[in-house]
Amino acid sequence: MTFLDVLQPVLHTYFLFTIGYFVVVNLTYTFFLGLSFKEILYYMRHNSFGNLRLLVQSEITPPVSILAPAYNEEPTVVESVKSLLKLNYGTYEVVVINDGSRDGTLKQLIEEFHLYRSRQLYLPSIEAKPVRAIYKSKKPAYRNLVVVDKENGGKADALNVGINVAQYDFVCAIDADSLLEEDALQKVVKPFLEDPTMIAVGGIVRIANGCKVVNGRVIEVRLSNKFLPIFQVVEYFRAFLSGRMAWQGLNGLLIISGAFGLFRRSAVIDVGGYRHDTVGEDMELVVRLHRKMREWKRPYRIAFVPDPVCWTEAPESTQILSRQRNRWHRGLLDTMLIHRKMLMNPSYGVVGLAAMPYFVVVELLGPVFEFVGYLTVILLLFLEALNIQMTLLFFIVALFYGVMYSVGAVLLEEISFQRYPRARDLALLLSFGVIENFGYRQLTTWWRVKAFWDYVRGRKGWGAMQRKGFEAPKDGS
Amino acid sequence: MLTPFPIEFMIIVTFAVVAILFVILISVVLVIHKAIEAQQIWREDRLYEEYSVLFAELLLQELPPLTSDAKPSAVFRQYDELIAPMQTRLKNLSSRRRRQHRHVLRKVLTDFAQDLSGETAERLVYFFYAFGFVDELCELLKSRHWWIRAQAARDLGLIRARRGIRYLTAALEDVHPDVRNQAMQSLIVLVGVEALRTIFRISRDLSAWTQVELSVIVMGFKEKAVPYLIEALDSSDESVVFFSLEMLSQIGFTAAVEPLLNLLTTHPRTSIRAKAAEALGRLGDGRAEGPLLSHISSGDTTLRLKAIEAVGRIGSPQAVQPLLRQWERGDIHERIVIARAIARCGEEGLSVIRSIAQGEPSLNTAIVGQVLEELGYIEEAA
Repeated sequence: MTFLDVLQPVLHTYFLFTIGYFVVVNLTYTFFLGLSFKEILYYMRHNSFGNLRLLVQSEITPPVSILAPAYNEEPTVVESVKSLLKLNYGTYEVVVINDGSRDGTLKQLIEEFHLYRSRQLYLPSIEAKPVRAIYKSKKPAYRNLVVVDKENGGKADALNVGINVAQYDFVCAIDADSLLEEDALQKVVKPFLEDPTMIAVGGIVRIANGCKVVNGRVIEVRLSNKFLPIFQVVEYFRAFLSGRMAWQGLNGLLIISGAFGLFRRSAVIDVGGYRHDTVGEDMELVVRLHRKMREWKRPYRIAFVPDPVCWTEAPESTQILSRQRNRWHRGLLDTMLIHRKMLMNPSYGVVGLAAMPYFVVVELLGPVFEFVGYLTVILLLFLEALNIQMTLLFFIVALFYGVMYSVGAVLLEEISFQRYPRARDLALLLSFGVIENFGYRQLTTWWRVKAFWDYVRGRKGWGAMQRKGFEAPKDGS
Repeated sequence: MLTPFPIEFMIIVTFAVVAILFVILISVVLVIHKAIEAQQIWREDRLYEEYSVLFAELLLQELPPLTSDAKPSAVFRQYDELIAPMQTRLKNLSSRRRRQHRHVLRKVLTDFAQDLSGETAERLVYFFYAFGFVDELCELLKSRHWWIRAQAARDLGLIRARRGIRYLTAALEDVHPDVRNQAMQSLIVLVGVEALRTIFRISRDLSAWTQVELSVIVMGFKEKAVPYLIEALDSSDESVVFFSLEMLSQIGFTAAVEPLLNLLTTHPRTSIRAKAAEALGRLGDGRAEGPLLSHISSGDTTLRLKAIEAVGRIGSPQAVQPLLRQWERGDIHERIVIARAIARCGEEGLSVIRSIAQGEPSLNTAIVGQVLEELGYIEEAA
């Protein structure tokens, strides 16, 4: 009896498992694509009847508190805050939370916005690190700006302080370095007005690399001339337009990007705010909202709107991208472990029976299965036991399905928002949907597999994220 | 060498075929969509331009003056003569092209309708009837697709087709909120402020979004809307009462004080009484002070806080002592609201607040410090 004879039944079982997994995953993706198509079509039609300008004109538009945590953002903080103060909305306040920055972030803000130390009382509803001072502006033009200086405690802690300080019923959590479109707030508030049970709404995040940015506004949408950001554009399309759109249709949306999400403040306070001890605090909060609302038997909805645009700068180097992906995956793993009670638990409805299993089996373990698949191919090749035709066939099928979903996501964009007007950009996006399968996909798979190891080792940090800054037009306009 | 299992092999092959077909299909759809869309836009743009020019001429064309004994319908005959060549042209088109032309024609007329007034607008309305667009839109209000019904409701308002009033009133009870909202707005255009009576009578569970849309309309009418808003206070639907209360306080018409006081003192729901208290505060009428003061120690937190806020907005010095008594009982959040109210009660209230501020540093001094800063009496903290 040879080693191969012993291996045969193991490989047979593994092969069956792989096929089964492949079928399930691809059927799910296909279902998502169809559902997203339906949801986007509904959204487009529905939105054509709502005049969002009314939100600016009406006296009864609900006010919003925008929370922008800042840590060592000295070079960009003033521009970012100015851009936030220029949003087209009724009443809103901008709460900048200086999370114990070691650079001149606070000094910059004090000087630029003529801030003074306010007597406003700090009455925490959620536990967080101590607040050193609350600042307000002497200038009437910046009356809606509040700057909170606190001890360093991380992004989640800063957001909790922001929620404590916020004076309005709706809080919009954003990254200080993200750019919001002028009417983004109007679009993301609308679902709350239409449905009183709405507790959180996420907006789409798009990649600004390559776009022309003037005074904190994206004035021309273009693709970057670098490879990595374009790969990420295709990925974001798949994640937002296909994935999140479908999950929101089922009320099983488990993630609202930390870069842009609007929450009902009372709901966030009721569940205890953001957790400090996880790197996936944005996802964890949303899962906890689902969990608590279902446990308390409160009717609720969490939605995603594909239109309000928040622009963010995507990593352009593999080193930074790897850190980001690693952190996202650790955050996902952490959230799934924290809320493992919900998994396959019928008390949590579609979240426990569909969304959580999907995130565990497909999103969390998918890279592991894929990585093991590559290792098996190498092992069998080494043992000269590889059925090359079969492997090639399988690879081609996987490739075509991968391409299919990328093309499908680009199609969703093309029939809906068409933010990339140039045919060249469309062609590039389609071709990158194919190219990403040769190298980029394997690279991200490896980063995500490595995240398990880092998690086991107890690595909890974010890792440094260097920002290059948004691109201004070359003609200096 | 491991041999593949036929069934698994077949599954993979099937998947391969399906995947390839899907990719091809989606790519082809994408390309075709782009091409068709471009062609359609080009064709529609051309037609739009053509009809725009034609109708601009028809609308601006001077008509021969009618004799003094001419019947009122004579002017319609003149309009008919104007569009007769176009109607003949449409008749001669194939049904597919006629549909396309009528679609563009309706778009042109609807766009024109938004900018015209006087005789030209009347002429345009007649064109809508003459081309059968009004009947077509009324019919579309029965479509099984909500977006078609909503579009029809919107267009009936835009083209000011009074024949649509009956259909639009029925659409106020449509199952889809977008249809109801569009019908509401069109009715306002067609009927004017009186449409509010029908809207408030028929509407149920107004969403916050609908209220935002309606608020802009109501604020446009200002005091003309007040009688209808007061009437709506008797509605059995809580959302309608809430909306009316909010609007009455925004408009600030004193005729609303008595009905609001009636709600504050007699309505069985505390949420409505709290809203009435808020509205009375915004109106700032002294008649409300007594009834409001009787609610500043209410057992219902929302009603109590709204009454305290309202008393502060009226700002009478007589309220200072009752508010100070409540100050002793309130928690920190309530004390902030009370301090704001007292500080607004004239010199007497302000001096009370200042005297608290000058005391030994404590939670109370911190509270009044915040309030004094909010009201602009002090600025920088130590």
